Amino acid sequence: MNQPALLSEPDSGSSSLDLSTCDREPIHVPGNIQPYGALLVLEPGTLRVLQVANGTEAILRSEGGLTGAALADVVPASVFAAVEQVEAATLAPGVSHLGTVRFGHDGGWRSYHAIAHRSAGRIVLEFEETVADEPGSFEDLYPHVREFLDSLQSVSSVQELANMAAREVRRITGLDRALVYRFDEDWNGTVIAEDRSEALPSYLDLRFPASDIPAQARELYRLNRLRLIADADYTPVPIEPTLDPATNAPVDLSLSVLRSVSPVHLEYMRNMGTHASMSISLLREGRLWGLISCHNAAPRRVPYHVRTACDFIGQILSLQLGAKEHATMAEQRHARRTIGARLLGHMAAEDHFLDGLIKHGDDLLALTNAAGAAVVFGGSSALLGETPPPAEVDRIVAWLSAHHHDKDVFATDNLAVAMPWAEPLKDHASGLLAIAISQVHDSFVIWFRPEVVRTVSWGGDPRKRAEVEPDGLRLHPRKSFEVWKETVSLRSSPWHPTELDAAAELRIAIVDIVLRRAEELAALSERLVSINKELEAFSYSVSHDLRAPFRHIVGYSQLLKTNEGTALSERGRRYVDTIIESAISAGTLVDNLLSYSQMGRATLVPVPLDMDTLTAEVIRKLDMEVGERSIDWRIGELAPTRGDPVMLRLVFQNLLANAIKFTRDRDPAVIEVGCRPKGGENIYFVRDNGVGFDEAYVSKLFGVFQRLHRVEDFEGTGIGLANVRRIVERHGGRVWAEGQVDGGATISFALPSGTE
Amino acid sequence: MADLKPILLVEDSPKDVELTLAALERCQLANTVIVARDGAEALDYLHARGKFKDRKTSEPAVVLLDLKLPKVDGLEVLEQIKNDAGLRHTPVVMLTSSREERDLVRSYQLGVNAFVVKPVGFEQFFEAIQDLGIFWAVLNEPPPRSALGSEPVA
Repeated sequence: MNQPALLSEPDSGSSSLDLSTCDREPIHVPGNIQPYGALLVLEPGTLRVLQVANGTEAILRSEGGLTGAALADVVPASVFAAVEQVEAATLAPGVSHLGTVRFGHDGGWRSYHAIAHRSAGRIVLEFEETVADEPGSFEDLYPHVREFLDSLQSVSSVQELANMAAREVRRITGLDRALVYRFDEDWNGTVIAEDRSEALPSYLDLRFPASDIPAQARELYRLNRLRLIADADYTPVPIEPTLDPATNAPVDLSLSVLRSVSPVHLEYMRNMGTHASMSISLLREGRLWGLISCHNAAPRRVPYHVRTACDFIGQILSLQLGAKEHATMAEQRHARRTIGARLLGHMAAEDHFLDGLIKHGDDLLALTNAAGAAVVFGGSSALLGETPPPAEVDRIVAWLSAHHHDKDVFATDNLAVAMPWAEPLKDHASGLLAIAISQVHDSFVIWFRPEVVRTVSWGGDPRKRAEVEPDGLRLHPRKSFEVWKETVSLRSSPWHPTELDAAAELRIAIVDIVLRRAEELAALSERLVSINKELEAFSYSVSHDLRAPFRHIVGYSQLLKTNEGTALSERGRRYVDTIIESAISAGTLVDNLLSYSQMGRATLVPVPLDMDTLTAEVIRKLDMEVGERSIDWRIGELAPTRGDPVMLRLVFQNLLANAIKFTRDRDPAVIEVGCRPKGGENIYFVRDNGVGFDEAYVSKLFGVFQRLHRVEDFEGTGIGLANVRRIVERHGGRVWAEGQVDGGATISFALPSGTE
Repeated sequence: MADLKPILLVEDSPKDVELTLAALERCQLANTVIVARDGAEALDYLHARGKFKDRKTSEPAVVLLDLKLPKVDGLEVLEQIKNDAGLRHTPVVMLTSSREERDLVRSYQLGVNAFVVKPVGFEQFFEAIQDLGIFWAVLNEPPPRSALGSEPVA
């Protein structure tokens, strides 16, 4: 449903209030004029009168009918000469002020501005009655205009420019209110500046839907830069005959100064409490940028030269707008760059660079002028400012990953279009701007903006006025505001190009950091590989070279003992035995150390394993070595698993050998092997009633070469449990021990179940 | 027993040479023991060239080959023996300090007849040498075609 505009005066000549047809109405051919003068439609070449507005005869004091008359016969010679010039000047299609003429009236004189323009193959000549005490020429107003021009120098922003223009236009015209109205991309309008007296309410910040000023009205505004309605209660004066006798078309009044406007618009003006209005178009690069819109509570005619001065101000403003907007954009770009650079610094200062964004949320939000943000990286997200709840943010992230992971920047000012389910999030996320910061993870920086309706405050109070109006008021700014709210419902303010650029630049910076980190990581892992190789070479060399001397010591000592034993004393032979024993133990130590390092390096070959069979085999082998001791084996049922058979055999071999060793002085020794499932794991354990250990040292139990017993009590190198832990951990499991001194020990290890 | 083939011991460490000889001596084998101190020398003997050009002794009954050797290392010697049509049937026993799995795997890939990790204890070493000596030098007289890929001794 379209509504006629608050600010647009031209509309239909039809008296119908069928609002839905507004944007189709031929408002440039109303067939009427406002009653402040005379109008003649002339045929070029002959300069004969084709059509006239009613009352023109009276003004021109023409005796007979004007239609068909020669212009020379009905207007003063000066006017005729000027019209001839207009006709000759084929290259000047604009409106020409031909001067002021006087016509007799009731025994006195009345002055009129003679104004002519070409219109669709015709010449339209108008006589606009002057206003009492009006300035005699544009030059009289020049000081005002000059002052305005000078003050422009000090203005730096579009906003200041608009403020100044509103002030100046109101000063020159003396009207009650001057607004600067600006269109957005979708032709919705906002009042961005205002200067007013107390006679009219404030409309500053008021919004209007695009339908308030329909397309053909905007086109008319583009062509004719200035319109005036002097009295909303005027009686339209018809042009006769209605149609051009030659073309059968109504006269095109697009550039007419007296053109009549739609009754719908007049009703709107009355509802607003304004009886006079004037608007000046502001163009930027040929496109309608906005309007300076003026209103007066009482009827009021703005004199021709004053309007000309206002038009001049409008044109100057139009010229300045482009420059100022470019400057403003450059400034914003610079400001955002500064913020971006600061964020970069923050990121560089943190161990994890994204903390730099999270800890400086204000800058992050300022970068794109957003109300909330989310930093999502590697499955975790941090929320800043006004955002939807975490679960909804996750949902948004999932959607982005599915639809836009390959897009660097995704922006919308109407999230519900992309994600209909996100409509309830409008208070936080009607607008969304996201940058993808990793190709690998679903990682984004996301900014949120609330529904724009929430962000708008309208200084005026149109409701108050509406209350005193009759019921059923259809046309009113308040309605416009409501319609506008519907138009922009679920929408955020649009993302400005500088904001999108700032986001894209931040993305590039982050991706650079991510890439650099990845490179660092790659370099690190390359170094690790080479260190590992070195280590491997080292242990290879140890395995060959470190063992040899021990072998030699043992070998020569043995030879000494065998071949020269008789020459040695008893003590000497004992020395040799000790040398042999020590060298053997040192050699064993080296062997164990090597097997431990091999355990870490060897490739895991997992197969399905029957743990019952595996332990039975280990026990059988160990049992043979036990000899005379009596051991009470209590073997429970063991869950099968998946693992490397050689390694897991070593685990049981170590645990059971330990159990046998530490129950040496028990009779009977009880060794229990069991298994229980628990939370996705199978827990295997070996329990004995041996000497146990002090739990205070439990942390040392699984370390390399860590022993909790003296070597003369229990032999061993302290590598067994370290091996157990290494093997279990390489199988994705964990190992732990419980025990007490003289109270036995239980070593348990858990392996992930469900992998058998 | 004049026709007994010699045992070729390839070992760079003089101590290991002495200890191995002592062990072989205790086995009371009648075979001559020829010592080569690196891989190149071993190959010279096998191919009867260089300083062994005019050797009187015959092909060895068994080669006891250390893994880590100067010049040409044990694995290379093994590879050359097993790739040589005239030598491939000569039994080779790797005698090594190494407990490295990859050495073992590589040796078997190259067709070693046995792989012995020299134990730290001399008694075990003695036993291993004795077993080896008897098996290869005495019992294993015919060209050991079937011995390729036989069970390792240790």
